[in-house]
Amino acid sequence: MEHLPLPSSLAEVESLIRALYQPNAPATIAQIQEVLQRLQKSPQGWQLAQSLIVSRDDNIKFYAALTVIVKLNRDSASLTDDEAKELLQNIVSWVLQSLVDGSSAFVTKKLCSALITFFIHFPHLWPLCLRHFLYCLDIGRSTPVESLDDALQTNLIVGNLDRRKLTVAIWFATTLVEEVGKTDMNSPKYVQVHEGLIKNAPDVSCLLARGFSPPQDSTGTKTQGDTLSCFQAWILYAQRVPSSSDLLVRPLRELVDYSINCFADEELFQATAELFSDVLTNYSSFFTEAHYNSLSSLFDSDWAAQHYEQTIHGSHQEDGISFGLLMLAYGDAKVHELMARIDDRSSRFLQRLSGLLAADGYLVGEDHVFVPALEFWSTFVETMIDSTYSDEEQTQNWRPLADQHLKTVIMNCWRKVQWPPAEVFAEWDSAERAGFGDARKDVADMLQSVFTLNGVSLLSFFADLFLQSVAVQSWAEVEASVFCLGSLSDCVSDNAEFDFELSKVFASPFFELLGETHGPIPLRLRQTGLKFIERYCEYFERHGEYLPHALNLLFAAVNDPVLGGPSARAISTLCSSCRSILTGEAGAFIRQYQTIRSGQALDSWAEEKIILAIASIIQAITDDSRRLEVFEELYAILRKDFERSVQLKAQPGILNLTDPDFLRGVEPSKPQVVPAVEEIALQIALRALRCLSSMAKGMQDVKENIVDLDSDSRPVPTNSSFTDIQSDITRLLAEVQRTFSYSGEVVEVICNIYRAGFSETDPGPFVFPADVVTDFFVQQPFETPRLGTLLSTACSFIGSLYRGPKTFVPNHLARLLPWVISLLQALQVPESDTEVTQNGIIFVDRLMSRYPEVLFQLQPQNMLEFFFLFSLKVLDGKEPLPKNAAADFWSGFITLKSEDPGLQETISNAMGHLGPLVAQSLVQNIGGNAARSELDKLSDPLKKLVTNQVRAQSWLEQALFHESFPSKQVTPQEKTLFLRKIVGLRGSRATNQVVREFWLACRGSNFTYVS
Amino acid sequence: MALCANRLQEERKQWRKDHPFGFYARPQKNAQGVLDLKVWECGIPGKEKTLWEGGLFKMTVTFPDEYPTKPPKCKFVPPLFHPNVYPSGTVCLSILNEEEAWKPAITIKQILLGVQDLLNDPNPESPAQAEAYNLFKKDRSEYDRRIKRTVRENAAP
Repeated sequence: MEHLPLPSSLAEVESLIRALYQPNAPATIAQIQEVLQRLQKSPQGWQLAQSLIVSRDDNIKFYAALTVIVKLNRDSASLTDDEAKELLQNIVSWVLQSLVDGSSAFVTKKLCSALITFFIHFPHLWPLCLRHFLYCLDIGRSTPVESLDDALQTNLIVGNLDRRKLTVAIWFATTLVEEVGKTDMNSPKYVQVHEGLIKNAPDVSCLLARGFSPPQDSTGTKTQGDTLSCFQAWILYAQRVPSSSDLLVRPLRELVDYSINCFADEELFQATAELFSDVLTNYSSFFTEAHYNSLSSLFDSDWAAQHYEQTIHGSHQEDGISFGLLMLAYGDAKVHELMARIDDRSSRFLQRLSGLLAADGYLVGEDHVFVPALEFWSTFVETMIDSTYSDEEQTQNWRPLADQHLKTVIMNCWRKVQWPPAEVFAEWDSAERAGFGDARKDVADMLQSVFTLNGVSLLSFFADLFLQSVAVQSWAEVEASVFCLGSLSDCVSDNAEFDFELSKVFASPFFELLGETHGPIPLRLRQTGLKFIERYCEYFERHGEYLPHALNLLFAAVNDPVLGGPSARAISTLCSSCRSILTGEAGAFIRQYQTIRSGQALDSWAEEKIILAIASIIQAITDDSRRLEVFEELYAILRKDFERSVQLKAQPGILNLTDPDFLRGVEPSKPQVVPAVEEIALQIALRALRCLSSMAKGMQDVKENIVDLDSDSRPVPTNSSFTDIQSDITRLLAEVQRTFSYSGEVVEVICNIYRAGFSETDPGPFVFPADVVTDFFVQQPFETPRLGTLLSTACSFIGSLYRGPKTFVPNHLARLLPWVISLLQALQVPESDTEVTQNGIIFVDRLMSRYPEVLFQLQPQNMLEFFFLFSLKVLDGKEPLPKNAAADFWSGFITLKSEDPGLQETISNAMGHLGPLVAQSLVQNIGGNAARSELDKLSDPLKKLVTNQVRAQSWLEQALFHESFPSKQVTPQEKTLFLRKIVGLRGSRATNQVVREFWLACRGSNFTYVS
Repeated sequence: MALCANRLQEERKQWRKDHPFGFYARPQKNAQGVLDLKVWECGIPGKEKTLWEGGLFKMTVTFPDEYPTKPPKCKFVPPLFHPNVYPSGTVCLSILNEEEAWKPAITIKQILLGVQDLLNDPNPESPAQAEAYNLFKKDRSEYDRRIKRTVRENAAP
């Protein structure tokens, strides 16, 4: 930007200022601003202000005031006390001048700001700034501060001021507290300013008292509005002052009664209500009991009754809800007293607060007061709970009345959560819809708290409401009742003593009602009803008689585009929990599934849930041959899908999209987009795989078996009855993987299928023999997609092997290990697939922890060497996850011991070679290469090294003084001290801190986290 | 301890007054139905116009006794497929790390919004689970497919 030259005359300056306030290009304005600022900052700034202030142009006068503020903030230190006093007297005289020379208000206000800036810089020269300012206003001229000794009392001074001057004084008092409030009251620089401010409080009180009841002159401007804002600013400040001193609070409190009077003035009502709501909410201790009594009487007045009516019946959009919020703020501040006192006035007040939940209009677009009122009532209920538990004797006094109020609250909430007619809902925008849903959630939340107090009576209240509304076919009410009952499921469902109330609902025509897909039953009701069934699935475990109704209902809804997902989920929850009562129905459910399958809308996710449900029932069949039979029936359906997918891939010509079995490969949400045949084939396969995976999950045992890790006595489970089906499954999986060898998703789901059997202890169709699983892994070449997932599955497999009989474990491990290492060897660099690297290292770590001999017997030997060096490279690397795994591996390696002397010797020899290398890698990391978040993890092997290896000290020393050490920031002495410390700490937790400090020193002192 | 309780009470108040669209956050109730302010159940919606849209992900936020000096721990239940979520479900995010960007002034609202941002904008610098991280880096289309499934499994009601 080009700089303009400094102006050479006052006239030039003035024209620049005028130009500044004219419409101009941004670049021009920036240029003008720059030159004017340069001028302000120059030593002539003071004089400039003085010259400009006499202008007739308001903008120029404003700029003069601004210049004074800039100068004060920059150069006040250069002023002597006498110069400062003179400046003060000048500014005050300019203010007075502005009042008589027709200046605009913004000029006077800016000059007041300049005075406040002066006060902040020279509090000692102007201790009673407000009183002095008032005095000057009164006598109409600027006098020295010392002359204040002769002045009248402040209340007399303010009594003399006309409205205009009063208004200016109130501006001054407001800016004073706001500006001082912006400075840090804990900083020594400003302590005196804040102390000085507080000394002005009595004068503020005099001024504002006058502001609340101004002189009856003819100017017509009201001062009460400004007075209220000023009052609020001072209270806000008082709240922030720690241990708010009496010196400040007492004078302010004297103003409360004046401000209460402002409620009556319609113009001031809004501001007054906001002030009181704000203080009640944030600083309720500001008010005294007397104030609370005044407010309480106010709420009991006719005036309040009128405002209340307006809140209940008026338009919240147009008139706001200030009065409602005021009541709620009062209620919040006095919640305990309102609850515990049983006098008429408190009760009347609470009654009105419960009425706030019944204002006209729908939530939340029309009725704005419900949500804040509900918040109050939630607090009220929580207060009831706390008090009930803490003082049972007292509780008896207030409980009956409080319960009565709660009853109204609950009833009102029940009405409010009712959905509007569809045509009304359709007009709501997304925020209104979400707000409605949120408010319902809040109601559910409160009901759970109420249940703590009222227990079964709450349940029976809603059950009765349900029956009544069903009788009159009021669907919105039925829905609300079911919703409220559903919200209590967490408190109720596992407890049989409440079943009686729930049976009222389930024995009613509830199921028939929800089963009506055509007719007047709204979708919402069906949705809420299905959810209700799911939430109470424990009830159905105890009441099998209703289970078929429930499941029929759910199955019927599965093909519905809206209800399909929730129904499928409910089916899987119900079937899983009630599996043992349902075993007789397995065949029927499979047929249901076949019917649903042919429906186009069946979503793949919903289908998986249904398969999961049926499989969990099959799992519970106790008769082995029956179980196998039903299993095969379900499996046969999926098997056909697999065959179809493979066939379709080979012969694209057979595709027939009118056949639902082929349509499965097309996403139902986008039937118009027909993908390539190959893709359809893949999708059919994937869908079948996912269903098979759900079957495998469903077949998992739910009872907890105790596993004895060290016992070998457990017989190998006889799997013979599953042999055929298992070989069929593995053959199919292999074929699908071969056919779609490019698909990572296929690999992922196959892994999930194998994984499902790992945790099982009893035989089952998915509990494959270990050699089958091992075969599956070792034939996977490096090119297989999702190799990382395969390796993590192999890691889980190790865990499964360890839980089983020990005899063949080493054989499996010995087959798997070379496969794993060959995959790592095929990586070009460890970073090229971090998941493979990480899981490969974890695999070896797990293997080594139990069967080190397998590791050391690995042939050819160079594979093992490769692995050691590979994991060291990873430890040196930058990838956090593999690095963690490598740190764990080396921690394990360093502490490795064997009772077999031959093996122990091999381990010790290996350690002798590898120890220096590990030490080097760790030291490089700690010397600055590692990230801070890795240090704790890296401290582990270091601690192990120090405690387990006698040569650790010399290895570490070598590494610290090796030329490759990454930091030049630490001296040899510091390195030696570090070494001495960590050796001395002998692997204790404090090592981490020492490591951290050393790392920081190596990084250099200027390294800190950017935050 | 008192500081922790007061602050959480205040956080709760502020949250009720003003919380972002589609989120929820409330203290858990213990067996007696009494609130436990130190464990919150939260729901984070996926952002509009991202792959995460339509999902609502449940997260437990646990506050230590030293809160707000120390940050809370955020854990997705069940664990979430995401590069910056540990296999346990714990979220790895700088504003939740005492040694990084945590500040006592950070509110629950800011935390939840921060986690929502993280969903579609993972930080590859601090991976927490191998699978999601690897797919994010190496196979974006597969990563996207997984996200879509995750959203489906955690569909907002």
